[in-house]
Amino acid sequence: MSDERRDILKLSRDWLPVQDVVDAVSSASCGSISVFIGTTREDEVDGRKVVGLEYEAYELMAQSEFIKLCGDIRERWPTVTHICVHHRLGWVMVGEASVVMAISSPHRHDSQQAINHCISQLKANVPIWKKEVYDTQEASWKENSECPWAAVAEG
Amino acid sequence: MTSQVFVFYFAKSVELTGVKQEEVTAVPTPISSRDLWNLLVQRHPRLSILQGQVVLAVRQQYVDIGDQVVTLGDGDEVAVVPPLSGG
Repeated sequence: MSDERRDILKLSRDWLPVQDVVDAVSSASCGSISVFIGTTREDEVDGRKVVGLEYEAYELMAQSEFIKLCGDIRERWPTVTHICVHHRLGWVMVGEASVVMAISSPHRHDSQQAINHCISQLKANVPIWKKEVYDTQEASWKENSECPWAAVAEG
Repeated sequence: MTSQVFVFYFAKSVELTGVKQEEVTAVPTPISSRDLWNLLVQRHPRLSILQGQVVLAVRQQYVDIGDQVVTLGDGDEVAVVPPLSGG
């Protein structure tokens, strides 16, 4: 086996270049790279428009939960080669990407399945939080329905 | 036995306590997660607003608030973890 498999989580206040994330998972053995980009929507909530999101993270634990998530992905889809997630912290304006993730595999089935699972499980388990900021200068902390202890938890 | 731990607050819990992190001394150990939560609510009563929609993390492992017993050593990290909203 040539390259060592990579699991990379980068948390950064900087704008995310998608190409960097793609380059991080590229490999001569992979015929497929699946990419997910989460962007900030201009939602309207109770007559107030979202102008941006403010993100924070428990960084040490985000890394350890990410490692567990990658282990789970690799158990389910063993041909997955590299996994790279860049997540923004701090202020993210409407229209900008908050998260970019890329997963490579020799053939497309595994990377496509894995990328779906990756974003769902990140939303359920990785300690990152976002606050919606509105054009009225009010703000509210969001809760993912995937998170088991949210008020609106799924199933 | 008691320990001295670092408690980290995140998201809404920062707004409720006015604090991002603090050292808490003389925390009994072993302790149930419910008693640990109650100890933090005693320090910051507004934390009770999160009741039912919060978990703790001890040494970076999630712990539901309930009967589960945790042991705490000096310098251990405890975190108050409101519902996640990454991605």
